[in-house]
Amino acid sequence: MRKLAILALIALATPALALDVTPDMELGTTIDEVKASLAAMGYEVRKAEMEDGEIEVYFVRDGKMGEVYVNPETGAITKLEVK
Amino acid sequence: MSGRASARDIAVWDPLVRLIHWTLAPTILLNSTILEEESTAHEWIGYTALGLVALRLVWALVGTKNARFSAFPPNPIRAIRYARAVISGDRTVHLSHNPLGSLMVYNIWLTVIALGVTGYMMTTIRYFGVDWVEAAHEIAFTWLMISVALHLAGVVFDTRRSGINLVRAMVNGRKSVPRGRPVE
Repeated sequence: MRKLAILALIALATPALALDVTPDMELGTTIDEVKASLAAMGYEVRKAEMEDGEIEVYFVRDGKMGEVYVNPETGAITKLEVK
Repeated sequence: MSGRASARDIAVWDPLVRLIHWTLAPTILLNSTILEEESTAHEWIGYTALGLVALRLVWALVGTKNARFSAFPPNPIRAIRYARAVISGDRTVHLSHNPLGSLMVYNIWLTVIALGVTGYMMTTIRYFGVDWVEAAHEIAFTWLMISVALHLAGVVFDTRRSGINLVRAMVNGRKSVPRGRPVE
């Protein structure tokens, strides 16, 4: 019970920790997975689409805009730009 | 009698009108062809285009006679009447833009403004990655390409029809008007 409470607390606290997306992350192999991964890090997901065979997602957080490309085979980030 | 001797060379376009035209054209060319969509250069060339149109609009209020709004009002009825007159062989020479050309001028300015505004919006946190803004930018771009093609076709057509070289007029500012032709 206590363990569960701690897990719940961590889950709740995670978005507030605002983990940054970094180029070494795996975000998922579908558009929805990538969107969910980013949302879990507290990013507001904007446009998401397939672009040249890769998953491309636009996101914003804390006044910054970012764009990420993910390889749908591996789920790995191939390009990440935050400005 | 040579054509030149029987024509009046009339100054129609002031240097600023020509400078804006020949600067705006390459900004459109650069941004639509070689510059990458999301590059800083694309953004600054876009803002330059927006600035040029803004300057031209101010000049249309305070500039020389043929450069003013009053010389080429945006009037579709006038344009239709003009098109009919051209078809029926009217050879009237317009020192400013002809009524059809006038509509194209306003159309291109508005389209460039739409591109500049939606382009700027994409760089703001509020509209970054927002679908309808990108769609609007792309539609405006496609429309600009169609408009430029129609504009060039119009210039070629009118130059052949009227015998007045419009490209030359936009370069040296002068229209060579054959004597005896009605002028408006």
